[in-house]
Amino acid sequence: MKFGKRLKQQIQESLPEWRDKYLSYKELKKLVRLLSSTPPTLLNGSSLEQFAKNEAEFMCLLNTQIDKFNAFFVEKEEDFIIRHMEVQQRIKRVIDLWGPNGSHPSEADYKEEMAKIRKAIVDFHGEMVLLVNYSNINYTGLAKILKKYDKRTGGLLRLPFIQKVLEQPFFTTDLISKLVRECESIIDAVFPAEEEAERAKEAKEAITVAGEGIFRNTVAALLTMQEMRKGSSTQSPFSLPPLNFPDSDFIQSIHLNAAVPIV
Amino acid sequence: MEAHPTFSIERSKQLNNMGISGALSSSLSVLPIPPEEMFPKLPESQLDFVEQELMTVPLTHSSYFNSSGVVGNIFSSSPGYSTDLQHSSLSPDEKNSTNAHFITQSPSNTAQFPLPYSSNTGPPTSATPSHYSKENSTSWHADSLPSFLDFPANGSIDNNRVESSACTIMPSEEYCKQNDWQEWAEQLISDDDALTSNWGDLLTDNIQDLEPKVSKPFSQFPGHQSQGHQQPPAALYGENCTGAAQSSPANSAPAKSRMRWTPELHEAFVEAVNQLGGSEKATPKGVLKLMKVEGLTIYHVKSHLQKYRTARYRPESSEGAMEKKTSSVEEMSSLDLKTGIEITEALRLQMEVQKRLHEQLEIQRNLQLRIEEQGRYLQMMFEKQCKPGTSSTIETPSGVSSNTTRDFLDKNEMEASQVDQGRSGPSQVNGSASMEEGSPLEKEGEKPDSPKTQHAIASNDSAQAPKRQRTE
Repeated sequence: MKFGKRLKQQIQESLPEWRDKYLSYKELKKLVRLLSSTPPTLLNGSSLEQFAKNEAEFMCLLNTQIDKFNAFFVEKEEDFIIRHMEVQQRIKRVIDLWGPNGSHPSEADYKEEMAKIRKAIVDFHGEMVLLVNYSNINYTGLAKILKKYDKRTGGLLRLPFIQKVLEQPFFTTDLISKLVRECESIIDAVFPAEEEAERAKEAKEAITVAGEGIFRNTVAALLTMQEMRKGSSTQSPFSLPPLNFPDSDFIQSIHLNAAVPIV
Repeated sequence: MEAHPTFSIERSKQLNNMGISGALSSSLSVLPIPPEEMFPKLPESQLDFVEQELMTVPLTHSSYFNSSGVVGNIFSSSPGYSTDLQHSSLSPDEKNSTNAHFITQSPSNTAQFPLPYSSNTGPPTSATPSHYSKENSTSWHADSLPSFLDFPANGSIDNNRVESSACTIMPSEEYCKQNDWQEWAEQLISDDDALTSNWGDLLTDNIQDLEPKVSKPFSQFPGHQSQGHQQPPAALYGENCTGAAQSSPANSAPAKSRMRWTPELHEAFVEAVNQLGGSEKATPKGVLKLMKVEGLTIYHVKSHLQKYRTARYRPESSEGAMEKKTSSVEEMSSLDLKTGIEITEALRLQMEVQKRLHEQLEIQRNLQLRIEEQGRYLQMMFEKQCKPGTSSTIETPSGVSSNTTRDFLDKNEMEASQVDQGRSGPSQVNGSASMEEGSPLEKEGEKPDSPKTQHAIASNDSAQAPKRQRTE
């Protein structure tokens, strides 16, 4: 139940409108449990029927999940594409209007607008990354469920199904990743250069500010990822290696200092 | 030492050709399930109908699609193996002969799966998807074989991404077309010849089209569609499938066909909107006309226009749409801060964490892709071993082939361990036994690297370790 718990945590931490878009891991697990473990070729009569019924239900749920992911993902992607262009145009407008070389140079307005834009763009970046995370965690869940299915029924569903999943829109996050990187370069342009020493000092205070919402979700996602890959009882060639990244202490401390304890 | 299915790199190309039939047969055995899964919502009655339809389809007919579907699947998923399997080399005649091969297999295979309706529903759904996965993967493979063999992290990643995104359209198409199975089945019967001739056109045309691939994954369907569609820089779920086999399932259910927008398409949209005088003045119909994108329906434009208007309105009137979504607590506390510098620093911090997450996600995704690739590779190997006609593959020296596997796995772990390097020390607060496993392994990573050490670092995977041992 480790993954299930982690997934639940992630869902809790996620943005409200996303919460029902994640994988219904628990239900799928229940359905797998219902499936009999005798190989289908040995079943006959009503038990075969029952098996077929259960299996069909499982497949059906699996596919509705994928539909759900695709629909949500593609819609969010569309939103992001629009927002991406908008942000760039907004920056341009502000620079052209209130910037030093603009038509109505006004430092106060410029600074104020830029501050707003910075916040907006960082949140935008965060949301996109969270979408990638969404894709990833659902994929992981699917892979796990399929593994359970194969184990339970002795079937060979996992490999081919996963191949199909790999082609699904919700898994092909390349465009989003590209937007994320473009966003990062925009951000570098928009953020003022800071002194290193000052930065270190401010960072501490910054921790208390960044409490809720996107940031919190991001931190939770990172930690979850790390947890999930720490090593399981069922390591196999298909398992991911453990995840270790620098500064995980730091991230842990952010996590613990958050306003609302994450259970 | 166990007899281990092994290949040398030099031989792999040869073997691929032999391997087609093996792979095809194996894939067919699994093919019935996946396409079926894509259409779970079909009521039983419809399934029966389709079943009947397909029963009447001549066997070679459906097997044609099977083979193309299967081959398409392989192509879309096994980058390095199928470069030689240029479709030009697989004439329809050859296809039919291999078809006979796995037609006989299919009845026995379907017995494994207690889903009576699944195998029959396989062919039509795979037909159209394979069309495009083949189309794209051909042009992609010529590019990717060298990169696969070298396996530079970035090169193959890009190729994988392109490939996976290019092939995305097909399965998604399946989801949309649930109501149109009957039409499909009918059209399959009638359109077989048209398709056959189209393969050649599509493939030869596509081979030229290698370059602008990575940046525009969806625009790779060139303007050489059989109907001579003009292909804009767009990716539409409905469009390409309508180009190939059916005439208009997309148009029959416009509200349902989902569209995947791209930045290029959006740019064209914005252009059109601006020409019409802005987002408030522009009408969906006008925009649709101006954009001149095949397959784009007014419903797509309408919903996109709505989103566009919302996105424009909110940043100008309020703090921006995305800011509303985050908790207001965050905003309140940021207002309490004395200077803008602190806000900026908070944002920087947030940015760092987000970047980190993204980085990790990308790495994880690539690992997952490679793992699945490896799984497929192994599957293929096992299949070949089981087949009587391919005994020559078993005789290759085990040392050479295992190097391939080892290199493959090395790359997997090297990338993972790159992230591991530079860690100062164990930090997990949630100490558990598994954490202790992590630390000693990680310390090993700081020693001078040899391939063996690298294996040890990155994985607790015991299953991989035996592989090493066998070759030593």
